[in-house]
Amino acid sequence: MTQIELRNIQKFFGPNQVMKDVNLKITDNEFIVLLGPSGCGKTTTLRAIAGLETIDEGDILIDGKAVQHLKCSDRDIAMVFQSFSLYPHMNVFENIAFPLRATRMSKGDVDRSVREIAQVLRITDLLDRKPSALSGGDMQRVAIGRALVRQPKAMLMDEPIGALDAKLREDMRAEIKRLHLKQGSTTIYVTHDQIEAMSLADRIVIMNDGLIQQDDTPAEVYAHPANLFVARFVGSPVMNIIDAGVAMNGTGAKVTLKGADEGFSFPAELVGKLDAAKGKAGQLALGVRSEGVIVSREKQDGYLPVEAHIIEPLGAYDIVDLKIGDEMLRARTRTGFVPAPGERVYARIDPSQAHFFDTASGNSLGIRL
Amino acid sequence: MATAVMTTLDPRSRAAARGMSDISIRNLFIIPTILFLIVFNIFPLLYSLGYSFTDFRASGNAAANFVGLQNYRTLLNDPFIWNNFVITAKYVVVSVIGQVVVGFGTAMLLNRDIPLKGLITTLLLLPMMLSMAVVGLFWKLLYDPSFGIINYALGLGKFEWLSNPDMALYAVALTDIWMWSPFVMLLSLAGLSAVPKHLYEAAAIDRAGPLYTFFRITLPLVAPILMIAVIFRTMEAFKTFDLAYILTSQPTTEVISIRLYKMAFQEWQTGLSCALAYIVLIMVLAITNIYVKYLNKVKER
Repeated sequence: MTQIELRNIQKFFGPNQVMKDVNLKITDNEFIVLLGPSGCGKTTTLRAIAGLETIDEGDILIDGKAVQHLKCSDRDIAMVFQSFSLYPHMNVFENIAFPLRATRMSKGDVDRSVREIAQVLRITDLLDRKPSALSGGDMQRVAIGRALVRQPKAMLMDEPIGALDAKLREDMRAEIKRLHLKQGSTTIYVTHDQIEAMSLADRIVIMNDGLIQQDDTPAEVYAHPANLFVARFVGSPVMNIIDAGVAMNGTGAKVTLKGADEGFSFPAELVGKLDAAKGKAGQLALGVRSEGVIVSREKQDGYLPVEAHIIEPLGAYDIVDLKIGDEMLRARTRTGFVPAPGERVYARIDPSQAHFFDTASGNSLGIRL
Repeated sequence: MATAVMTTLDPRSRAAARGMSDISIRNLFIIPTILFLIVFNIFPLLYSLGYSFTDFRASGNAAANFVGLQNYRTLLNDPFIWNNFVITAKYVVVSVIGQVVVGFGTAMLLNRDIPLKGLITTLLLLPMMLSMAVVGLFWKLLYDPSFGIINYALGLGKFEWLSNPDMALYAVALTDIWMWSPFVMLLSLAGLSAVPKHLYEAAAIDRAGPLYTFFRITLPLVAPILMIAVIFRTMEAFKTFDLAYILTSQPTTEVISIRLYKMAFQEWQTGLSCALAYIVLIMVLAITNIYVKYLNKVKER
């Protein structure tokens, strides 16, 4: 039963402000992912919660109690480090037992707790190995075991699988999810990998430049990015973001991408909604994910002719770069749908997957069609 | 592991142009060293082993007579020699423990961000760079009962450091501690700064107190390098001569090397002293071996 709350946290490293008025509420059993590029303040936030880093202003509350002046040992929080930080001179058993022995738990209880957690993590047969004799994945399991064994109030994870290779990362991702579902402890997880964030999180908190950019469920973050930064950071391939102009044309609206002769058809209500959202002409960008660009090989009503440029076959689907005006529009198609670069195809944009951003402020105009 | 030590010579290199192979270059470096070792170390070592079985006296013209193990028997049955060993052991224990405590403690103090850290470390290393004889002469003055600064500073009046038979050995050990603690400090400092910082963070997160962290994290991780310091200092303390010889001439400070010196160059019992030197050598080897065994055990972790 742990809630963590950050209130108006400010943190400076010399003249650099690395946390700018960070506010965050984490409820019991929630799996929160702090996502952002390196240097965005996410690790500092995590270390501040753990007590490894002091804050300059604001409050950190654990279960309603301010803890910013307490040492890490008095906060009862466990942490998994990116470098694993296993004690090299102790075997796996001793590593996992360390937090229990440090608080003078009785020998029998230590033994029972360690074996229990080893079972959960499936590392029972590794207990008398030294960390140097473990694979990366097993080291991470031990590090997680060491964190979980004393049933802390909350788990903090700092890019715990960032140092593993791609295949192992995928396995460990699933394992962390399984563990969280089973153990159900409040978890804060830091990563720069948006796929990890999407797959693990109950809630994603995206940070950039010390500021929280968006704080929402993975689905919401993906479907309705709050600003250009989030739109570009989340999702692969990166969302198409192209300066655009909007005009009425008979019964519908036309969205013309920069440098293009013709515009994509949109419902007429777009114009009214743009006005309501105070979108200014000349500082408007259209954002659309590759799956929102619909490609046809025959000429159809409402489709614009485009030229296929580069085709990236990814197995399950292809990513095709379509040249329209001065810009490239990345579309997701069935495998082999566009046979070769240079082919003339036809495209339209699904209005329900289109986003409009104010290029001056970078914020989404919040238009949903 | 021993394979692939030699790499082939780059055909464009100057050595190749001169027609020197890797092996001849290696020999060029190694042979002078080996010759030096043979002439100045190995030959005297073996030669003195021969003398240790004779009644040879370097002061006389009498030919050496082979006496077998008689010298060793005499020495090992001599209670005075055993007393010299006990004095030496006391001296080794006190001075090595003192050096480790002071040296490691200073290293702990220095192992943090403090202003002028480099300068302070260098200044602390100074005693180690002085000559033994100079240190001995200085400390003789410092210990002086009537005008020595130590009695003055500690307010001990006319306390006899060096002429008091019960105190003299500890006074010599204290000087040795002053001189060689910096050596232990230097090695400990290297060991301490090699302990990754994130391990301390992990220990803090794991709710380990400062003492628990010291004994379970810091000490085990510094242990191998600290062991090396202890090995060096034990060997040095075991064969210590200059300090004790210069500072006092008490019978209670007659460590084994002083006994050996007197036996060899004042009493001219060359054969007997060679035997004693061999006994000392075997003892030092045995002690070092125990340490090395322990060191390897520590390193395995």
